[in-house]
Amino acid sequence: MSVSLLLIPLALILLAAAVGAFFWAVDAGQFEDLDHVADHALDDEPPAPAPAADPAPDA
Amino acid sequence: MSQAAAHLHWQREAGLEQVEFFAEGMHCANCARAIRAQVGALPGVRQVDVNLTTARVSVAWNPGQSRLATVLETVERLGFHAVPLTGEAGGAAQLQERRAMLKRLGLAGLAAMQMSMYTVGLYVGAFTGIEPWVERLLRVAAMLIAIPVMLYSGAPFLRGAWMDLRRRTLGMDVPVAAALVLAFAASVVNTWRNSGQIYFDSVAMFIFFLLLGRYVEMNVRRGSLNASEALVRSLPARVTRLREDQGSDRIALEQVAAGDRLVVALGAVIPVDCVLESGTALVDESLLTGEAVPVTRSAGMTLPGGAINLGAACTVRASRDAHSSTLASMAALIERAQAERPPQALAADRAAGQFVFWIVSLAVLVAGFWLWVNPSKAFEATLAVLVVTCPCALSLATPVAVAAATSRLARRGILVTRANALERLAAIDTVVLDKTGTLTSARMQLGEIRCLGSTPEGDCLSVAASLEQQSVHPLASAFINATTAHRPVEALRETAGQGVEGLIDGVRWRVGRHAYVTALLDSVPASVPDADDFVWLGTARELSAAFALVDILRPEAVAAVQALRTLGLGVAIASGDRRSTVQRIAAELGIAQAAGRMNPEAKLALIRSEQAAGHRVLMVGDGINDGPVLAAANVSCAMGGGAALAHAAADLLLMNESLSAVAAAVDTARRAAGLVRANLRWALGYNLCAVPLAAAGLVPPWLAALGMSASSLFVVLRARRFVGQPT
Repeated sequence: MSVSLLLIPLALILLAAAVGAFFWAVDAGQFEDLDHVADHALDDEPPAPAPAADPAPDA
Repeated sequence: MSQAAAHLHWQREAGLEQVEFFAEGMHCANCARAIRAQVGALPGVRQVDVNLTTARVSVAWNPGQSRLATVLETVERLGFHAVPLTGEAGGAAQLQERRAMLKRLGLAGLAAMQMSMYTVGLYVGAFTGIEPWVERLLRVAAMLIAIPVMLYSGAPFLRGAWMDLRRRTLGMDVPVAAALVLAFAASVVNTWRNSGQIYFDSVAMFIFFLLLGRYVEMNVRRGSLNASEALVRSLPARVTRLREDQGSDRIALEQVAAGDRLVVALGAVIPVDCVLESGTALVDESLLTGEAVPVTRSAGMTLPGGAINLGAACTVRASRDAHSSTLASMAALIERAQAERPPQALAADRAAGQFVFWIVSLAVLVAGFWLWVNPSKAFEATLAVLVVTCPCALSLATPVAVAAATSRLARRGILVTRANALERLAAIDTVVLDKTGTLTSARMQLGEIRCLGSTPEGDCLSVAASLEQQSVHPLASAFINATTAHRPVEALRETAGQGVEGLIDGVRWRVGRHAYVTALLDSVPASVPDADDFVWLGTARELSAAFALVDILRPEAVAAVQALRTLGLGVAIASGDRRSTVQRIAAELGIAQAAGRMNPEAKLALIRSEQAAGHRVLMVGDGINDGPVLAAANVSCAMGGGAALAHAAADLLLMNESLSAVAAAVDTARRAAGLVRANLRWALGYNLCAVPLAAAGLVPPWLAALGMSASSLFVVLRARRFVGQPT
């Protein structure tokens, strides 16, 4: 049973890593647009930088 | 409050000042009520509008009695963060809130998964035997995970409850937070004593499901907002302003003031209502008027904000400030619709408020009962009652369905300008249609040609078409489309509102109004009684021809009327046009009840008599001269944006001028009403079943968390599915 002494803290570290990765992904804007990004593969134009903070693009 | 200057803030009529901002952290009807009450109580404050859906707050006050800083401080004191609404700052604040929500959700979800594993370990250990130090380790590990979940993911509920208590009201967050704190505290104590139950996994799961419900609801609302505001969003964030010295600078749209000279690039949206300075411009006004054909505007003419410049870059002078422009008023209409809470939702809110009171009382009763009968079960039963009865589903049922229906309609090109319009629309049984501009398109088609002189019919037509070729008058297109035989014209001259004159093969022709054309003749001809029903063509020698112009049915009209009938609605026509024309149109559509030569008073009388007969009437008009008629109907629907916007009497605006959207709107409204009823029934039924079970101590806390969350999620997801359903 002494293996749980190692495994339980290890699980905590893994959990922290998973949460950290998720927070990074949210902050990097990975979840901003889940519907239309897939269509970009079909665009002829090179991809525009993601309009993250400003939904109304400059004219 | 030094950032006050960044808020959208302006002088209003009658010496009032107005500010609009985004209240971060507002999520329930109680929050909205608190802002309305507290800010409204400030001296000099005349009007407080709180939009729960968008979290926007608009306050108008008398600057002599209060200051902007006071207003904003009051809002901050209530626990909300006043964030500037417009431009990038408002968008960034919303983005931040959305991301924080997602992070809270992710943390709670991951933690709940991890902890359920520890719980299984403890559970299995209880049967098969577990070494005490391992058991202790598992409990401590679970607590370590639960602390950030409680403090970070659960923060919105704890803070919301704290605010509610400070304001001495009972919000939905109160029982939620009570359950969380009770369960968490008991678990910490039991971990310390190393005996008894721990509920860390239930806490994490409860928080996760609550957040999930809120997150999905936020997305449904955001979706409805985006669809309605697509139009308003089309505005550029920054515009190019010309300085006196011919240099230019980029300024934010909100800073545009009347009199500014702006440069509008090719393909750019015209930011505000303005006047073209020089040259001509080709603009697409379809966003505003529904008119798909681009129009040519010359120097001095007005360009509405929201039109798209299809020609070369042009210089314009803003005739209004950014916040009073056409598009801004459109945005205001959308805002108004969202700011008004549908009466059903208000009733549900009040019910939810009372409901919370009963829940708390019930929880106290249950706790007392079990302490008396069996103290070991008291804690779990009380916790289960608090969790299982959270009235979220009840409170969400209506707003979510209305948001979903609005979003659906917006995608069909229908703008809902009043919150309760959908509720009323679901109840109508009769549709009264105006003819001109509604059943028929505003564009005219050439009908009968009467030859009056020696010129043959074909020649008359080609001469008239050649003359009208350059004209921008709406009638001109009827001629241009009627023939392809165009001739070269010299000395072309157009007199606005009269007609066109030009030389063809050396002969001077005129086409246009009777008086204008006959002015070429030496003798004054006998006046013709129905001269205005025709377009006339003539030379100096003779009056050559009279062209009758007929309006044509919109291509979708027959199918649209059929669709209305399929929905079981009675259809009638009320038109100001000649009886014969109305009869012809009615016959084509198969409508028996059709009246012509009706002035607005007669139309009004018709609607009143229908209503007196117990019918609920939807009036569809072009919104131009139907104002009072539209207002009298139970629900009104106006074609297009332009003129209708000015009156804003219509409940619904058909932005794409497609009649088939009317039937779709009625259908959607009915289905939304059905959805609201079903949701309320569901929420009520769930509580009726769950409360007795929880009070009897038959529901463990984790199951309570699951049940309560499932009921909210179920309500929200049904609304979400409704958005995506095909019509």
